[in-house]
Amino acid sequence: MLNLRHKYVFLLPGLLVLLAIILFPLLFTIRVSFSSWDVVMPGLDWFGGRNYTRMWADGRFWEAMQRLVMVAVSSVALQYVLGFSLALLVWRNIRMKRFFRVLFLVPMMTTPVIMTVIWRTIFHESLGPLNNFIEMLGLPAVPWLSTASTAVISLVIVEVWQWTPFMFLLLLAGLLSLPREPFQAAAIDGAGPVRTFFNVTMPLMAPISIGALIIRLIEASKIMETVYVLTAGGPGTATETASYYIYIRGLREFQIGYAAALSVTYLVLMIIALTIIAKILARIMILKD
Amino acid sequence: MSLILEAVGSMAEDQMHLADINLTFEKGAFYVVLGATLAGKTSLLRLLSGLDQPTSGAITMDGRNIVEVPVWKRRVSMVYQQFINYPHLDVRANIAFPLQRAGLPGDEIDARINEVTALLGIGELLRRRPGELSGGQQQRVALARSLVKNADLLLLDEPLVNLDYKLREQLRPEFRSLFGNNTSAIIVYSTTEPLEALMLGGRIIILDEGRVLQTGDVHEAFHNPACETVARVFNDPPMNMISADVAGERIILGDGLVLPRSGHLAGLPPGPCRIGIRANDLNLEQSAADDMELAAEVQLSEVNGSETYIHIHHNEVSWVVREDGVHSYALGSGIRIRFNPGRLFAFSSADGRLLAAPDNLVSGSAVMEG
Amino acid sequence: MFVLYRSLKYFVLLVWSAFVALPFLWALTTSFKTANGVVSGATYIPWLQYEPSLEGWKVLFRGEGKGIDIITPYLNSLTVTLSASFISLLLGTLAAYGLSRFSWRAGPIRNADITFFFISQRIMPPIVLSIPFFLMLRMLGLLDSRAGLVLVYIALLMPIVVWVMVDFFNNIPRELDETAMLDGCGPLETFWRVILPNCKPGLVVAGLFCIVFGWNDFFFAFILTFTETQLLPVAIVSLNSSVTPWWSLSASSLIAVVPLVILAFVIEKYLSSGNLAGAIK
Repeated sequence: MLNLRHKYVFLLPGLLVLLAIILFPLLFTIRVSFSSWDVVMPGLDWFGGRNYTRMWADGRFWEAMQRLVMVAVSSVALQYVLGFSLALLVWRNIRMKRFFRVLFLVPMMTTPVIMTVIWRTIFHESLGPLNNFIEMLGLPAVPWLSTASTAVISLVIVEVWQWTPFMFLLLLAGLLSLPREPFQAAAIDGAGPVRTFFNVTMPLMAPISIGALIIRLIEASKIMETVYVLTAGGPGTATETASYYIYIRGLREFQIGYAAALSVTYLVLMIIALTIIAKILARIMILKD
Repeated sequence: MSLILEAVGSMAEDQMHLADINLTFEKGAFYVVLGATLAGKTSLLRLLSGLDQPTSGAITMDGRNIVEVPVWKRRVSMVYQQFINYPHLDVRANIAFPLQRAGLPGDEIDARINEVTALLGIGELLRRRPGELSGGQQQRVALARSLVKNADLLLLDEPLVNLDYKLREQLRPEFRSLFGNNTSAIIVYSTTEPLEALMLGGRIIILDEGRVLQTGDVHEAFHNPACETVARVFNDPPMNMISADVAGERIILGDGLVLPRSGHLAGLPPGPCRIGIRANDLNLEQSAADDMELAAEVQLSEVNGSETYIHIHHNEVSWVVREDGVHSYALGSGIRIRFNPGRLFAFSSADGRLLAAPDNLVSGSAVMEG
Repeated sequence: MFVLYRSLKYFVLLVWSAFVALPFLWALTTSFKTANGVVSGATYIPWLQYEPSLEGWKVLFRGEGKGIDIITPYLNSLTVTLSASFISLLLGTLAAYGLSRFSWRAGPIRNADITFFFISQRIMPPIVLSIPFFLMLRMLGLLDSRAGLVLVYIALLMPIVVWVMVDFFNNIPRELDETAMLDGCGPLETFWRVILPNCKPGLVVAGLFCIVFGWNDFFFAFILTFTETQLLPVAIVSLNSSVTPWWSLSASSLIAVVPLVILAFVIEKYLSSGNLAGAIK
């Protein structure tokens, strides 16, 4: 690797801009989390760890964390299974290959909040097409957004619709970059499609799968906009995710200090959880064969 | 103009690439750097180009230290073993690139491009992109780009190694005529192939494990390898070796074969030594009355181009015989090998130093056969 | 058996296609409805099931004050997304080149760590940054301005550029840079004249990701702007109250979303040519 004085011209502008934009807010948030900054008394006083002790007893926050884990893991798992299946279906030559590929990519290009606005009308209990369809089948109408469990399911459906394409994109790009030889060898050995998939495709796709799952889990851990538009956290607090709850506390009720403490905890937990998940995934996928 | 390396060493990531290199390069001369893979050839060329800096020692050009002079301010050209051209430019723009950077006027650029493309026979390709060319054509373009600059220092790092056999055969003589009438530049050419070094001629620098083993005229070095390692590196297949013992008027090879201590071997000191003979000096037919004869067993016979390499084994002998034409020998079959004792080399068994080499006058043909 | 497998395959593809298309088709048909068409329950086919009308579309183009203003937010979104994408692409590409070609050491920190620092910014939940961003922009007097949003989006988009481009540069042989330098180019000239023209596919992919993620962001635009600088997603979501006419909501959603749908074609093209595979690992 070259070592020239000029190298700083390349790296430093980007690095400094990013440090300035990211590092200050991060340090600031940590500091604020030890203050009692709120709408009545804005400012950086010293409040000790009281925001954190309050958080410890805040059941609504921990429920929101649990719900986030549930929604993120289930929607990413569905996205992976569906995205991988679809990628396998349009990988090799089929009729209208390009049509399907383009169509399957479309949702990830669309603005999540705007599409969620549309989804809200689709889920509408009396005027939406979804219940209309269910009633045509002779089944009772589903109160999609107004009971706790169905509201969570609606949220997962929207997430799956929006982000399966991203999984599909990463996995299809991975499939297309695989070498041909192992597949030819498997064909010569007389392996059927199922055995080829488990003995050849899966092991070769393990690194890309891990990457795609991690990327999606990172993005899914931030779920908030969809909640805001689809259910506003409701009914009650049934669809609140961690981000959404922090948003309520911080930017609706202006409990800045408390929201900062929640933010710091949330970020730390996310980093720990994602690191552990990454390690586990690497072990499962690579040691499986 | 002379480029001098003094006590130059190069390390990267705690690994020694070159150690204690002392070399002088003169303007108008052609240098071949010969060495096995990883011997340090590329490291040496990169130091000369200025792409890498030495970790110790000094590099001076006409007495001026040039270590700190950045690459883009030097007048250096380099041809890599990979075919490196600018993929986004057509052939003409590729060749014009260094001239434009140097700020030459348009008509001069045109004239130089015409000259160099005619020389290399790529005049028809000017409008093509490198990606549309064959490997040989790509390397010709790279060569044209480095020649057109009239650089002070032209470095060629195994430029033929990634080409197929036929193209190599075709390009080698072209290189000889291209570089033959050079008077203004220092040209350094690295290769792993002894035959290539002999065909190109000039002066040789033999590298092994990051050290210079021998310098001097190519043919002189071929006939008088400074040590056993040079003899190994400078022959393909490597020179056949065997331990021997000099006692009285006789030389006893490890195999039990006994030679008279005469001719160019007369001066060998008594005691153990190493005897070497080139693969092409081993014959299957008797060619002279005083030939020595050895019975051995065929271990392997492989065809390499228009030649056959026969690996033979007998007691301590484990040699390779090179024979013209394509032949096949059954594994384990007996074979009789003859050689002229006048073609033997002798090296010290203590430090590998050359003790005796065959008389050069009778070896004119050996040069061409390599 | 084979026929069964094949029909099953196409069945799955068609079902998923229908699922993907559902919101678009629904929005399309809804956009031609009137109040009567909506409140009578879900209907799909114009003329047959409801009387179509262009009201939902017309209201978007009546200009300020008279209807729903979609043009101003549209232009705002365009300006902010393109500026932020361009700056991120510039800074990110330079940084990625610096990380790919030169060695960096600061204490225990190496190239890989700096690359990871860039990419790891994607893990940061927007909500964590929102409060300090809010205060920071207020301090700089950039709240409710396009410049403020561009600044924030750079932090969001640059990591994507670095992620795509570091890998891309690593696949361009170093000898190409060296040849350019031997031919008389300084480092910056080498980058500009030789490297940049040879990494168009990488730049296109990175740029596409920037535009998609920039255009589609809602949260930061939502909390950092109020009335002066409204971006498209914010404008449309603000229509999403209970009294909103579904027809103009659908029409404006389609207008907002369609331009990026075209990018799906571009991405597919790069996917087929294998250029994406290298970028994604």
